[in-house]
Formats: sequence, structure tokens, C-alpha cells
Amino acid sequence: MNNGHTHVLLIEDNPGDADLVRLRLVEGDSAVNVNCVNRLSDGLASMAKEPPSVVLLDLNLPDSHGADTFRRVLDRAPGVPVVILSGQDDEALAMKALHQGVQDYLVKGDITSNQLERVMRYAIERQALIRTLEMSRKQQLEFKNQFLSHVSHELRTPLTCIHQFVTILLDGLAGEVNPEQRYHLDTVLTSVHQLRAMIRDLLEATRAESGKIRIEPRCITIGDLVQQAISMMSQTAKEKRVGLEVGLDARIQLVYADPDRILQVLINLIDNGIKFTPPDGSIMVKACIVEADPNMVYLSVADTGRGIGPEAKALIFERLYQDPNSIDNSRSGLGLGLFIAKELVELHGGRIWVASEVGNGSTFSFTLPIYSLAKLLSPVIVYEGHLRDAIVLVKVELTPLPSASRGVWKEVCQRSLERLRRCVYLDKDVVLPITGNAGVGETFLVAASTDMERAEIMMKRIREQLEAGAGFKSTGSLKVSASAVQLPSAQDGTPMKDLVQAVAERITEMGTLALASKPVPENANGHASAGEYQAGNEIKSN
Amino acid sequence: MEKPKILIVDDDPDLRRALKIRLRANHYDTVQASDGYSAISVAQKESPNLIILDLGLPAGDGYVVLERLQNSDSLSSIPVIVLTARDPQSNEQKTLQAGATAFFQKPADNNELLDVIRATLPNAWPGTAMPS
Repeated sequence: MNNGHTHVLLIEDNPGDADLVRLRLVEGDSAVNVNCVNRLSDGLASMAKEPPSVVLLDLNLPDSHGADTFRRVLDRAPGVPVVILSGQDDEALAMKALHQGVQDYLVKGDITSNQLERVMRYAIERQALIRTLEMSRKQQLEFKNQFLSHVSHELRTPLTCIHQFVTILLDGLAGEVNPEQRYHLDTVLTSVHQLRAMIRDLLEATRAESGKIRIEPRCITIGDLVQQAISMMSQTAKEKRVGLEVGLDARIQLVYADPDRILQVLINLIDNGIKFTPPDGSIMVKACIVEADPNMVYLSVADTGRGIGPEAKALIFERLYQDPNSIDNSRSGLGLGLFIAKELVELHGGRIWVASEVGNGSTFSFTLPIYSLAKLLSPVIVYEGHLRDAIVLVKVELTPLPSASRGVWKEVCQRSLERLRRCVYLDKDVVLPITGNAGVGETFLVAASTDMERAEIMMKRIREQLEAGAGFKSTGSLKVSASAVQLPSAQDGTPMKDLVQAVAERITEMGTLALASKPVPENANGHASAGEYQAGNEIKSN
Repeated sequence: MEKPKILIVDDDPDLRRALKIRLRANHYDTVQASDGYSAISVAQKESPNLIILDLGLPAGDGYVVLERLQNSDSLSSIPVIVLTARDPQSNEQKTLQAGATAFFQKPADNNELLDVIRATLPNAWPGTAMPS
């Protein structure tokens, strides 16, 4: 494109066809440079070196055929316009190519120089337009995100002030409050909480849209989470005289999910249920396994409300959707709750849907993946079709001092985990998901495909990294230990799947024992020696 | 016995006033600063036991204040609690790495904030460990 020339990359293996196209190019426009190659690999290499103005592409080359050919070119240089040179008999394929981003096609054999020139020029122009559109779309999205995050920040400042002074009055710090005044102030405080939730939703939705929501999955007991959501919502339900019931399938194993985020989803669904259920109705929250889909847990929130019509059902997970016929449309929210719930569930690899009939209540359901250690471990413990020679389970225990505040300690654990993740080799080691909710003492486990000798180096690195930056100074202590995982002897014929399962079970057992044995408090002899381990031995339960 | 002294750094005078009322009711002394520059000078003059710090400040934002505190021999040991309207996702880790002890987004829950203040202050004031 520089100095006004059109740089044409012609990828064509038939010398006759190539010559003909070259001739037509020269006939038409003098300001054309043609680079002709006869293999796709050469074409891709040339594109990587210097992107051409346009690619003329034959689909059947010595090293690539059919749809694969244009897909590979589009993949390599998505911004370069591509025109296909198709044979008489594969116009159908050329049409398919147009749907996938190819700009145009010419049928070999009846190409005129005028036609070729026009097709190329239009292809280049259209591609430039697409680029401009895409850029402006990105800019607009970025601008909207910045605007929303700015607005929500600015809204928080006066809201904080209202919150502070209302609570000062309510707590009697500015003199006694009579019951009527308290009633009014409570109303103000409720509105403050509503406004705060709306600002939070606004930011969350923006983040969801730009793919910036983070989730921290761990292995969790879904029943505990459901119970927690129920107890958090029981007051609201009671105030509206709506019953809250739970049904938990006893077969459910651990789920791999971010507990805070899933709690957020459950609370959102239960809160909606309460909102749209008349007094004396009830809400049922269930978690169960479905035989047909054994890798997922099914969660559902069913209400006895007035149900949702088919039009609303189609739109209910959309951003900013609000039921126009809502009987309870008093400042209920921005219409972002279900949109955020959907984004969160999908980030976990699950799906969310609603079943409902007008007059017969609604059931919102979503799925979450069941935690499978074998699936998680398999890329680490299997290498080129064989089990690794040695695997070590490294245990990192964090114990807080009694004086450490919960918030600060949670931060220390979070930072430790992030640092720990940077201490391991991505392709050889895996930091196992943490079991249970963030509690007092935290134990992280690393399955490392290494032997005890090298595990020692790894433990040293972990200790140094965590002590350097995780903030243990005044909050707690750190202990790192390791033990070898006994590997099953690989007899011929044992399927790899079973071997992996055996290792996973072994590690689960070791990990469970590690978690069950309470961290040893500091004793008179100082710290329990960090890094102690018994080479080749298994962890023994106390 | 002398009460622990907390420096409130925020450019919103109303919020400073509110925090002062809340903290005094919980038996803390307070001093105030309204920008990043005076935050450091007040800290040097008053030697507070803890600092509550906003991030969006004139004359040196919260990050500048954190850096100056960390680089000062006399001030680096004072615990700092960040209390800001800014987004935790992009600021929480950053402030903690810059030396803050805890992070709260406005509007923060009073009890949680007081819990962290209590836990963060060195136990030199047994009488105030559990305010009435």
C-alpha cells in the first residue's frame, strides 16, 4: 500500500492460472506489485513478513485444500482482504467462504482485467470499512465503561455521606431517637442499601459486558452455600410472609465454583422469587443430580408467584429488562440482576434458564460443574501417554495469629495463593482448588510432577516468595511440607483413565488427611520447622 | 490513659466530620487532613496510631501518600486503612501491595470498619480493645 502501489499476494499453484491472473493484473493497473507463491505455507510466511494489500487465493494447493485454506489465511491475518480464485465447480464453497469473512470470489477462466481491478479495489475498501467500524465499536464500548465506572464512583461519595449520618442518628450518637424517627430513618437506610446495590449492579454489568469479571473457583459443598443463602434471605421472606424451603440431594459431591459468586446468584434468584410471590406463598430451593448429565449439579429456585409470560421469558435474562406488568415495581432494581446471574453462571461453565407458566409460578434453574480431581490432574500427571515418574504433594499451611483481623487475613491468604500460583510450572504442576469456604486456617495443596529432591527446591521457592510478599509479618505463620505420592504400577493394559483416577484418589486421600490434621500451633520451641518432610513417606494422620 | 489517635484523610469535609463522630464515640481521638500533602505533614506532627486514607485526593492522591509513608522511617510503621469510593477490583490489591493494611469501599459497614481498626491497632491500649 505504500507509495500508492497495491501489493497483491497471489497464492496459486497452477502456473498457467498464475500467469493469466498476473497478466490481467498488469493489463489493468500499472501500480500493482505481484508476489506469487504456490504453497499456502509460503503465502502465510510472506503475509507474516509484510501484510499485502490483498490476497488472491486458490483453494486447492499442494499443502492445503478447500475451506481449510481460506480459514488458515483469515486466521493468520484477519485484517487483510481475501479474494478467492475458484474453479467452475466449486462456487458453492466460495459462497461459504463469503459467510466466513472472505471479501469476494472470481471464477477462474473468465476473469477480465476490469473485473479483477474492481473486485480488488472493493475488497480493500470494504475491509478498511470493517476495520473502522470495529475500532469505533471498541472505542464506544470503552467510553461507555469508563463513563459508567466514573458515574458509579461519583454516586458513591454522597451516598457514603448519607449512610454515615443516618447511622450516626440511628445509633443515637447525636442524641436519643424516638420510635417514629427511628422508623423513618430505617426507611432512609433501606433506600441507601438499595441504591448501593444498584450502583454495584451497574458496575458488575459493565464488567460482565467487557469480560472483566473474575471468578475464584474452589471446591465447595453446595448444600452449605444454599443454607447460607437461605439464612441470609429468611428475614426478607418472613417480612413478606413467604415460606422458604430447601431440598438437597444427598448424592451431591463437591462442586467447583466461586462461593461468593454463586451465593450472589442464589440470593438474586431467591430475592426475585420473594419479590414476585404474594404473601403466604412459598419458595423452594433445590440442589440435585440429573442422571442424564452426571458432570453437573442442578440448582433451582421455584416460587409460587404469578409466573412469567412467554414474551417476558424470552427477554428476562437480557440487560435492563424489567417486567412491565410487575405489581411490585417499587424501586426494585435496575433490571440487571438476572443478566449478571447469567454471566456468572456461564463463567463457571454452567447454564441458566427459566420454566414458567402464567399463574403457576416460576422455576429458575442453573447448573454448575461437579469437581473432578482426575480431570484437573490428568494434563499434569500424564506426559506423552505415560504417567510421570514421580509426583509430590506439596502442602502449604497458613495459620493466623489470634489477633489478626478476618478481613486482613483473608487478604493474606488470597495474596499467598496468587504468589503460590506463580511459583509452580504451569505445564507440570497444579495448585489444587481449595476445599471449603475461606475459613480461619487455609491449606493449599500443589500436585507437582517432580521428585522429593527437586520438591525441596520448590518448597524453598514457595517459602521465600510467600514470606516476601504475602504480609505474614503480623498476621500469621506459614508452613510448607511435601510428601511423595505413591504411583500405581503401570501394568500393561491398564487404561490410562484408570491410572489417573487411582492417582487422583490417592491425592484426595492425602489431601483430606492433610486438611483434617489441624495446623500445629506455635510451641515453646518456636515455629514448627517450616519445610519438614519425610522423604518418600506418606503423610500420616494424627 | 491516652486514647489511640486516628488520622482521617479525606477531601470531603462532611465525611471527615461523620467519621470523627463515629470514631470518638468508640473512644478514639481523631486528627484530620484534606489532601495528600497535608496528610504527610499532619502525620509527622501528630504521630497518629492509625491512618484512614481516601484514594482520590487533591495534592497527591492516596497512592502517593502510601508511597511517602512507606519511604519515611518515622511513618512507615503506622497502619493504613484505605477507605475509598474507587473500585476494589482495580485498587484493592494495588493498595495492599503499596503497604495498606486493609481496603474498604465506600459506603463501608461501620462495624466491619471498627473491627478492622480494633484488630489493626497495636494492643497498647487494653482499655480500648473492646469499646463499649
